[in-house]
Amino acid sequence: MSFFGLGRPQPTSAEKIAAVENELKMMADMHNRMTRVCSAKCVDKTYRESDLAKGEAVCLDRCSAKFFDVHAKIFDQIQKETTERMAAAGGSGGGFGM
Amino acid sequence: MDTGLTAAENRELETRMQKRQLKEFMSVIGNLVDTCFNSCINDFTSKALSGSETGCITRCVQKSMTTQARMAERFAEQNQAMAAEMQRKAQQ
Repeated sequence: MSFFGLGRPQPTSAEKIAAVENELKMMADMHNRMTRVCSAKCVDKTYRESDLAKGEAVCLDRCSAKFFDVHAKIFDQIQKETTERMAAAGGSGGGFGM
Repeated sequence: MDTGLTAAENRELETRMQKRQLKEFMSVIGNLVDTCFNSCINDFTSKALSGSETGCITRCVQKSMTTQARMAERFAEQNQAMAAEMQRKAQQ
């Protein structure tokens, strides 16, 4: 999953390391958010048992799948909306314009 | 993972990753303490931890670690699927 080689001049060593590090950081961040969000939605907070119940485990699996889907959908939609809004604004104002 | 870096760059990356992992570990502990404390400790009529509170904390930690492990597996699967999907779209 690398986005290099898009026609820019050769990135420096520091830039390359920073890019990889950032990508890994984003992945770790997404992992943490997903775990936190899905635990909150799926896991019994009274902690009566130390093992994951079957229902909780299934809920976690489905939650992770939905989390990724939502992430992708929001990403696509924001790109689309930003493009449309910028086109509608006709360059006046620019930026997010919200 | 082919990151397109030289050996020296990879070493630098690895050093940074180790530092980051340590930070990550500390933050996992922090989150665990917050979560389990919030869920398990609600009675302040005594300053000593009761048996049920201790049991709750123990179960909370075990369950959280099991959940984390499961989420790590699912994340890796979803990530692979997403990367494959992106490749497929790129090739269209």
